[in-house]
Amino acid sequence: MSTLKLTINGEKNPAVDIPDEVMMIEYLHEYKNLTGTKFGCGEGVCNACVIIVDNEDGTKEVKKTCVNSAASFNNKKIRTIEGHAKKDKNENLVKLNPVQEAFIEQFSFQCGWCTSGFVNEATLLMEKLKTNPIKKTDVENVIGDALGNHICRCTGYAKYYEGMKKLILSTDGLTR
Amino acid sequence: MGNSSNLSRRGFLKQCVVGGIAIYSAPLLFGNDKFKTYSNSKLLQSDWKGDSIKPKFRFDAIAKVTGEKIYGRDYRSKDIEGWPSKQSYAFILRVTKANRVFEGINLSSLSNKMKPSVIITADTLKKDDVNFPPFFGKEMLLAPGKVPDYEGQEVAILIFDDFISYKLAKDNLQFNDKVIKYSSTIHPLTTASKAPYSTWRIVREEGLLKDKYSPLQNGLIFPNLENNKPVWPKTGDENGDTLQKAIHYSNKLHEDINNEDWHVIDKTFTTQSIEPAMLEAEAFNGWFDRKTKTMHLVICSQSPADFYTQAGEMLAHSPMGKAVKNLVVHSPYLGGGFGAKDHTPFPYFGLVTLLYSNNPISLANNRFEQFQSGIKRHPFEMKNKLAFDKESKKIKGLITDIEVDGGGRANFSGPVTMVGLSAMQSIYYIPRNDLLGSVYPSAMPIAGSMRGFGTLQTMASMEMMMNEAASDLKVDPIELRRINVFKAGNKNTQGAIPNGDYRYLEMLNMAEKHPIWENRHSKKLQYEKENSDKKYGVGFSIATKDYGTGAAAPSSSVEITENGEIIIRVGYVEMGPGTNTSQGALVSKYLGGLADEVILGEMKAFEVMKQIDTDSPYMISQDKQDKMSKNPQWTPVVHMASAASMSAYFQTHTTDICARLILKHGLYPAAVEIWKTKYFNNAYAKANFGDYTSASWKNGKLSAAGFPPIDLKTLAKKAHEMGLLTGVMVHAFNRWAWASATFDINGVNEDLLIDGLALQYGNTAKSKKKKSNEFSLVNRKTVSYPKTALNNAMVTYLAPCATLVELAISQKSGEVEILNTHTWLEPGTVLVKDLVEGQIEGGLSMGIGHALYESLPQGENGAGNGTWNFSSYHLPLAKDVGVWNMNYTLLPPLSKSDPSKGIGEVVMIPVVSSIVEAIHHAIDKRFYHLPVTAADIKKEI
Repeated sequence: MSTLKLTINGEKNPAVDIPDEVMMIEYLHEYKNLTGTKFGCGEGVCNACVIIVDNEDGTKEVKKTCVNSAASFNNKKIRTIEGHAKKDKNENLVKLNPVQEAFIEQFSFQCGWCTSGFVNEATLLMEKLKTNPIKKTDVENVIGDALGNHICRCTGYAKYYEGMKKLILSTDGLTR
Repeated sequence: MGNSSNLSRRGFLKQCVVGGIAIYSAPLLFGNDKFKTYSNSKLLQSDWKGDSIKPKFRFDAIAKVTGEKIYGRDYRSKDIEGWPSKQSYAFILRVTKANRVFEGINLSSLSNKMKPSVIITADTLKKDDVNFPPFFGKEMLLAPGKVPDYEGQEVAILIFDDFISYKLAKDNLQFNDKVIKYSSTIHPLTTASKAPYSTWRIVREEGLLKDKYSPLQNGLIFPNLENNKPVWPKTGDENGDTLQKAIHYSNKLHEDINNEDWHVIDKTFTTQSIEPAMLEAEAFNGWFDRKTKTMHLVICSQSPADFYTQAGEMLAHSPMGKAVKNLVVHSPYLGGGFGAKDHTPFPYFGLVTLLYSNNPISLANNRFEQFQSGIKRHPFEMKNKLAFDKESKKIKGLITDIEVDGGGRANFSGPVTMVGLSAMQSIYYIPRNDLLGSVYPSAMPIAGSMRGFGTLQTMASMEMMMNEAASDLKVDPIELRRINVFKAGNKNTQGAIPNGDYRYLEMLNMAEKHPIWENRHSKKLQYEKENSDKKYGVGFSIATKDYGTGAAAPSSSVEITENGEIIIRVGYVEMGPGTNTSQGALVSKYLGGLADEVILGEMKAFEVMKQIDTDSPYMISQDKQDKMSKNPQWTPVVHMASAASMSAYFQTHTTDICARLILKHGLYPAAVEIWKTKYFNNAYAKANFGDYTSASWKNGKLSAAGFPPIDLKTLAKKAHEMGLLTGVMVHAFNRWAWASATFDINGVNEDLLIDGLALQYGNTAKSKKKKSNEFSLVNRKTVSYPKTALNNAMVTYLAPCATLVELAISQKSGEVEILNTHTWLEPGTVLVKDLVEGQIEGGLSMGIGHALYESLPQGENGAGNGTWNFSSYHLPLAKDVGVWNMNYTLLPPLSKSDPSKGIGEVVMIPVVSSIVEAIHHAIDKRFYHLPVTAADIKKEI
């Protein structure tokens, strides 16, 4: 049994005791009822389940929730798919983040099961590019490096990739 | 929870009564769950309408991109109004061997905190007389003392009262080889003693004015069985009965195939076991409210209508089921299907758990379990002979003998084989054919209706033969196809004339001019010079895939509120292709804008049409159909499953009619009234604005004959004020042609391609026939159904697709890199271009997986052993599919009235044989099996 204290999408959660065996995705689903993070394979291959972790030292990363225990996220700040869009004071959704906008306008997803993983990974990429812009000619490769291990069964990936490419090239400061 | 009248008030719609159980289809949970991440996403959602002509994004995009609960797997009991919040969990124990006697289960490794509260075994079900619906066969759970029929067969269900005990137990048991007890002695597989699931034979001999023999003209033929093998007569008779005639012509073809003037491609092709691998593994949630005798279910199914009926029958036949008076079924969005959520036994296991618990039960496969138990497509072994006249290069005949592995429990492999055979000819005219296919049981997991439905296997082999023949006959591969292309007036291998124009020549001509094709030989030299460690190849294939089942039965309703909101309801379930988006968009041509609401997967209000079906639409006799069709509520099929390639044409048909009738009888008369009152000397002359077909929408406003454009909101208000038609609900039936019927609409008889109708009128409508804001049944006056003999046509709606593949092969590893693909597709009228493009791209990816990567071994190393996952089963990644170089050409429709075609499957077929041909071009080696792996290629380099 371990203690788990988390900040989820900017909201501090009180500490809870959690069995060590519980994976993070199980914690999100069964304890927090946050089912936007999707279970795909359970062995860390498909990347549908990744969430963003904002570390204390300012670094950020995505982490798989199906193969990492909930306890391993103790004291972390995490961002799930549910936290990206802006809400008004009445909890109405009013604005998506740029990645979400790009994906919906590009018709990037179909069944949508892999989408939360793609959004998290792509959101992280956008944030990294802000501090480390890349050459325009490297955009395709960088997208491939970031998203290349995400499995999608429906789409053939093309519209995810096109959406990201358009977004990166049209966002100031990400390319040089 | 209240009583059943409260159920109705909560928006459930009574679906039917089966065996005394009232079955309700419930609204999608989306937007209705108690726990909501956001109060309201409707503000953003409404932006989907874009410019009212082209959607800005998918109808379900906001929900999917923000992680809203919309999938069955998302829901827990606390999310659902009226359910207890405490959730219990279940999982299924399955055997991993099929060659031993199953002797029971061993749960001794479970500590106290892991123990299940309930264990359901075969003995439990036997005592309570609980059985599968007949479709799934016997032995829902295998009893000790029996030999399993297949690896992965279910033996017990364990129920746990809380998540932790469930999780710990599952972790403990899942890969524990002591959990299932087996005999020490090896036992023969049970398949050895079983008859084939089905056998099909399609024989045709062309004639001058009419065929000498064909299934459509003469009927179907079936063999006898001896020692569980199909046995056909050895001799035939040209003047004998149907079977004798067929055998006569078959024998003749088998003799003539040895003609020395013919060149015969005589090869055996084999395909692999494939996992559909939709990313949402199967899941179920349910609760049996014993107080109200109501069973509530959340199922992940492509065929909820069949589930309603079969679940009702399953319960009605069991004494335990008699405690159930109402069945409420929710059908949420699906995280992919590809056929693997169609007619699967999974939700019935979920249903069974509810009989043994007072708590809500969640049953959800993890990926290992999905591989072990989910529906597959198993190997085809195809012994093919394709004969060409050496001189003219024309096809003289096609013979095939296919053995299909139908898995361990009968499912859809029979129809899959039939469709595979009947579509095998693809774009070519075949003057004589003998196509034989048998489906055998095996010890593999269940095989059912995976995307492609057998045609990927057969048509890919057809294309491989065409490519090889071109090489042997020293003719250009596209020219050989041109010589043999199907033309107007030709009949297919069943003797039927396919619907519509065949634009194969157009596609062949385009492909021939593509630079990759034109320059393939010179580029090969250049590429290999610049990349000495690689081999370069180009391959081309074309296919035309049937869409439709011969018993399509879509229902739609469209209504306009007083405020001009458009609400659509369809029976189709959303699996990913974007049905809600396309249905919501297609109405804009009649209603001036996209829909505000598209409700899927619930047949809300369709009960108003009071339809009944009685027999299998495939087996019903002509006499019975004629007799039953006199009942204005009878239809061959009330509801259809949501399968690939079924929404663009079939579901669209009914939605289109609904919207058109609203324009004709509602919005256009409202416009005319406004025009003649305000812009015409109505008091002095009779208005003549032409009929509604002369009106058109522009920028969301309707105008005609030069009169001022009027927006939808104004027209809707007027239509309601006048009590005009504001809602239409229809049902249609298609057996390779639409049924048609006559209905009285506003005192005028209209002939429509539907067989069921209900109408709704605006606010001021006041009469028995015209109820305001409520659908009322309008009985048909006459009906004409396609003749039952048309069942033998098997396939007549076709959508062609061609793919050119350019690839490079590493000489070191044998790995294939897709450099470029170009796909030509004839989709008919495109409803939403982005959705069609998405299908092409996704289909290419799945086809690439079939061609190069995906395979499951047979036997105890196969999926049934429960150890398979994505780490061992390679699904194509972006790097594997040439993601930046997927190009396509959509052939424009021939006219404005061209229907949309079902293209969800054809897009994955030609890429397979194109890859095999490109590999041949690269390394001068033909392969006759799929997948062609890097190891296979490396051996040959």
